[in-house]
Amino acid sequence: MKLGIPVLDELLKEIPRGKTLTYYIDPEVEGDIFAMQTLFKNLEEGYRCAYVTSTMSPTSLRNRFREFGWYVDEYENFSIVDAYSYYVGAESKERYVIKDPTNLDEYDDVLEKVLKENDLVVFGSLSTVLDICGDDTLEHFRRWKEMADDSVIVSNFTAWPYPDEIIEKMKELSNAVVTIGGIHHRVILGHYYGILKVDWTEVKGRAVLFKVVKPGGVRAYIPKILVTGPYNAGKSSFVHAVSNKAISVDRLGTTVALDHGKVEYKGFTIDIFGTPGQERFDPLLKVLGSEALGVILVVDSTKPETFPRAKQLLEKTTRFGLPYVVAANKQDLPNALKPEEIRRLMHLPKDVPIIPTVATKGVGVYEVLDALIGRLIGESYAESEGKT
Amino acid sequence: MIMRIGVLGIDIDSNNVMVLGPPLVGKTILVRTILREKIGEGFGGIYITTKDTAESVLDWFRRFDIDGVKVIDCVSRTIFSDAPDTEDIKRVSIMDLTGISVRINNFLERFLRSGKRDVVMAFDSISTVLMYMNPHTVFRFLHVLTNRIKSFGAFAFYTVDENMHDERTVAMLKQLFTGVIELRDDGERRALRYVSPSLRTEWREFTIVGDVLEVSS
Repeated sequence: MKLGIPVLDELLKEIPRGKTLTYYIDPEVEGDIFAMQTLFKNLEEGYRCAYVTSTMSPTSLRNRFREFGWYVDEYENFSIVDAYSYYVGAESKERYVIKDPTNLDEYDDVLEKVLKENDLVVFGSLSTVLDICGDDTLEHFRRWKEMADDSVIVSNFTAWPYPDEIIEKMKELSNAVVTIGGIHHRVILGHYYGILKVDWTEVKGRAVLFKVVKPGGVRAYIPKILVTGPYNAGKSSFVHAVSNKAISVDRLGTTVALDHGKVEYKGFTIDIFGTPGQERFDPLLKVLGSEALGVILVVDSTKPETFPRAKQLLEKTTRFGLPYVVAANKQDLPNALKPEEIRRLMHLPKDVPIIPTVATKGVGVYEVLDALIGRLIGESYAESEGKT
Repeated sequence: MIMRIGVLGIDIDSNNVMVLGPPLVGKTILVRTILREKIGEGFGGIYITTKDTAESVLDWFRRFDIDGVKVIDCVSRTIFSDAPDTEDIKRVSIMDLTGISVRINNFLERFLRSGKRDVVMAFDSISTVLMYMNPHTVFRFLHVLTNRIKSFGAFAFYTVDENMHDERTVAMLKQLFTGVIELRDDGERRALRYVSPSLRTEWREFTIVGDVLEVSS
């Protein structure tokens, strides 16, 4: 089974049967979506999937799935384990019902059946089960894990300030733990996820920024990429060619304000900003560079006389150590220099990707994106996705 | 940081204030009155309701020509209503403490990004949450929430029914609040006071007529 989460699927390959994975979620981050996305991905693949709900009614749960465009009721292989309705004094018509959600023995009985009859069982909030049933929950979780010898358990666990021993035990009982956190600054301004632990494959630690998109779900997110380069190198054309939606303010045929594009590409949502090429706008670059995560330098391959200016722009935008790649643009014109000639003339390091492009025709622009994504989050992801 | 509440004639020196009093003494009207005053002064307002639906809360504020209150409605979902969310109303089951926490943060983020730094929040009521979840769970939830309110620099008021919970529970929760507005009702007169480590007002009598709370001068 796959997780259905960008990057994680590349890193973890798959979740073998008999394994448990826990999404360990900052209490202020909308992280419940991760397990829902995992469930829906596997529902689509034809696996039998069950969702244990402790925090909302089955109707609310179905509506919540629907918010993301996931119509779970259209799948016969979907079922709900209702551990909510009786707790708030209501009846339930679900296939699996826990009539006393404070009773772990009843959980044992119901889950034994659920785990036999399903390939994937998702706990919408294991921490809520713990809150309601007490610390013994994790010992019972150990039993459920033993019952799941031919199925997979995926849980959301909210990182409330529990005693350390509970957190440690939860992590010990999970074969893999994915942390979902927030970038705190007065409020939570950004979200990320990363692998804390996995015992069936080796992975290097890596954090991925994300946004929750409705419909759509979790999207790996690169907040801002700058497209810079000398005057008339083709930056606006590049932004428009690569974006699903782009706007720019043009006067007298060249850009005097920012181009802005939004790119949905291979699970990533990317905001792209094209900077003006004229020197009088250089003070803007310092501000934009401080907020960006990566830079694409567009050069006119037919005009080596503009390369010193290109180098200058690169220095201004990458002064905070941002990764960058180079688009060797206008390759369709006579006398266009080859990437290696550009590298030599600009004295660029060997590991900097220089990609030939014709931005006006969209040629090579996605290869440039692939290269930058690779530099931002690791080559393996960009390479593997590039083959699909 | 001190916030003047003109209608009560008191200064508040705590970001997180427990509003403690017996049932029906007027805690709900008190926190709504505070929000009404502060939103009227330009504050952003967030109201978490566990007793009335969002529509009922918004109707109350509209009677005073106050719009734009952001409401987290913990009632509709709990009673199996299918009412949808809107820009200013988010509905979540009272069992979903993470959902409540996330939505509060989302509203705070929206205020921050729109340049509104002054925010006041009411949580009415913690006692309802304690009916569904054990005190330790509620404590952990409030621990996260009160820290967020403090780091944002907002002011929040949390109503708690006195005598509905055992003393240990109230004492545990009180650790999270550096200020308390205490309300009392001796059958004939109602009174309130504010108590914090550095401030203690005299008891002030108040009356409630319809939707209006008035403190005697």
